Amino acid sequence: MAVIGWAKSGLIANNLDHRRQNAHHPPHLYIRRPSPTTAEYTVTTRPPPSLTLRLALVSLTTLRLVLFLVALLLLTTHLSLLPRPVTQHPYLHPLLASPPYQALVRLTGPPLPAWAFAAAACAVLYVCFAWQLHTTERLLVLRGLGIQTSTTGEGVWGSWRPATRFIPTEKIRDVLINEAFRGFEVRYYLVVLVEGEEEVVVVFPRLLPRRRIVEAVWRGVRGCLYEQGGEGRGEKG
Amino acid sequence: MAPTYNIAMVSDFFFPQPGGVESHIYQLSSKLMDRGHKVIIITHAYDGRTGVRYLTNGLKVYHVPFLVIYRSTTFPTVFSFFPMFRNIVLRERIDIVHGHASLSNLCHEAILHARTMGLRTVFTDHSLFGFADAASILTNKLLKFSLSDVDHVICVSHTCKENTVLRASLDPLMVSVIPNAVVAENFKPYRNPGEIPKETFGQDPCPARPLGPHDTITIVVISRLFYNKGTDLLTAAIPRILENHPNTRFIIAGSGPKAIDLEQMIEQNVLQDRVEMLGPIRHEEVRDVMVRGHIYLHPSLTEAFGTVIVEAASCGLYVVCTQVGGIPEVLPSHMTVFAKPEEDDLVVATGKAIAALRANKVRTELFHEQVKSMYSWTNVAIRTERVYNGISGAISEAEFYGYDASDPATWSATRGRSGVQSFALIDRLKRYYGCGIWAGKLFCMCVIVDYLIFLVLELWFPRDKIDICPDWPRKTVDERREPGVR
Repeated sequence: MAVIGWAKSGLIANNLDHRRQNAHHPPHLYIRRPSPTTAEYTVTTRPPPSLTLRLALVSLTTLRLVLFLVALLLLTTHLSLLPRPVTQHPYLHPLLASPPYQALVRLTGPPLPAWAFAAAACAVLYVCFAWQLHTTERLLVLRGLGIQTSTTGEGVWGSWRPATRFIPTEKIRDVLINEAFRGFEVRYYLVVLVEGEEEVVVVFPRLLPRRRIVEAVWRGVRGCLYEQGGEGRGEKG
Repeated sequence: MAPTYNIAMVSDFFFPQPGGVESHIYQLSSKLMDRGHKVIIITHAYDGRTGVRYLTNGLKVYHVPFLVIYRSTTFPTVFSFFPMFRNIVLRERIDIVHGHASLSNLCHEAILHARTMGLRTVFTDHSLFGFADAASILTNKLLKFSLSDVDHVICVSHTCKENTVLRASLDPLMVSVIPNAVVAENFKPYRNPGEIPKETFGQDPCPARPLGPHDTITIVVISRLFYNKGTDLLTAAIPRILENHPNTRFIIAGSGPKAIDLEQMIEQNVLQDRVEMLGPIRHEEVRDVMVRGHIYLHPSLTEAFGTVIVEAASCGLYVVCTQVGGIPEVLPSHMTVFAKPEEDDLVVATGKAIAALRANKVRTELFHEQVKSMYSWTNVAIRTERVYNGISGAISEAEFYGYDASDPATWSATRGRSGVQSFALIDRLKRYYGCGIWAGKLFCMCVIVDYLIFLVLELWFPRDKIDICPDWPRKTVDERREPGVR
């Protein structure tokens, strides 16, 4: 349900945006330069902020919250975890006694084995808590120190392990754009050659943004890492 | 300003594998790039060579990962190459797809898909085939399929043209003959006496000096040792030639399944001191081996062109070769002695060549300059460019096909009225339908499926989602070749 809501809101945002045609968002690039020697390149599937998007996000968050609470309540009811004084509390009692809630309790009740319900409820709790709407990948460049890549994935498991990797400047042999076969296509991607490692480090490995973004990041990284006076400053925004 | 094109050369055969087709593609591509065209090469992945590579002159090579079945040809899956091919063609903005070698499955697939995508196609045939055995019949049917709908065909010799026209039932007007060439600078004859190490036998004195009656004559054979290269003939002829001519030596370079037969022959006849087997050599070493000899022996059973004999003549060697395929067209008669492809005649012809050299009747020192003036890759590129101009309509059909051919009365049905082949599916189907009772229908099915796959791909991977490759700055051709202009 959450997925459908998100997809719909995305579609609306897109139609208003007039720049994208289909429901799946192509990655966007956001550049942040807190100081002339630092740059952060964020590639994310989150669409650019708009009123519709904010409304959709607020309603989605509310929905998740409600779903989370209902699942929690059902779980505690079935397992009789709540002590009597709490269930008899004047704020909670009308809700627990209301017909829709009673119907829900009956629906998830005895014909369904208790363990199955408990597992399902736990799953719903987890999904409501941990669902990531967007994939976000970052590249942080610090002149004189090095670069750091990080990836936060989409979906249920995305937030588990944000893969972060720091490469100090003296270990960076080069930063370059390469082409390779991937599935049925040839893609451009940004790689960092690391001293003493056989494998290259691919930047933005999940999203693999298109050439325009990759080139902008490549110019910026080289400008920030190697060139004096922060020449990439003109490309901000 | 002449039009320039984005050209994709497609073949299963490319470097790192050595061979005639491979170097043909490379040389033609570099000369076309010198003339301002953009050229990329699509081949399959070799060991340790997958993905996108650049050669030093800016030539881009796509090594597409594919299954290799036999002598580095890929498995013929008619449609599996299409998604990848379409992606490459779109990102490189290709106008013309140029396939090479009739045994290359990748090339045939590429021609089919390119026509489905509405691109101009050219096919270059490098080899001759028979008509009788099962493998040839199958290959010919496949060739007929892919050449039913091709814009133009290039053959490397007139014999090859005749063969291809018959095999693929083509209109001879749409087949051009553009021979191979050699880089004459890489095949200069031997001049410096200190160049050859003394411990191995090789030519001494060098051919510029007259040959005495008892000087050793060295015969060089450089060939992949396969059946079609005539290695059996060589195995049979060597003992007889050495018996008839005492001061004669052989140097054999190359490897292949027939190498073992040669080694057995050497051991049986105890010829270890007169026949040297060098094993496989790299293409850049060919010249160093050739200049050690006086005579180049080429016993091939079938050959469309035979670049190697041009290379040998360019090195100043007298050439003895079998009169098969396109070989008689390649060199002028004063550089060669021809033999029938049989043992006795080969022995006699080699004897004649040795006698002629001993009598100092052959001016081998002049061969290099003569070959240099006959064969150049720039010339090949100019002629190929003319084919591209012809099929893309840049020069008129009358100019391209000849004035009598553009007469509507003799106009071939396979070509459209515009002089170039129509891309309409129904016209393409008509061409394929004539391939045979069953084959025609099968081929039509394939073409229809291919077209459907194309439509699916257009939906699945829309064109605007494919990144366009940036081009190298193009070279401009200076037609007048004025020194000091640039």
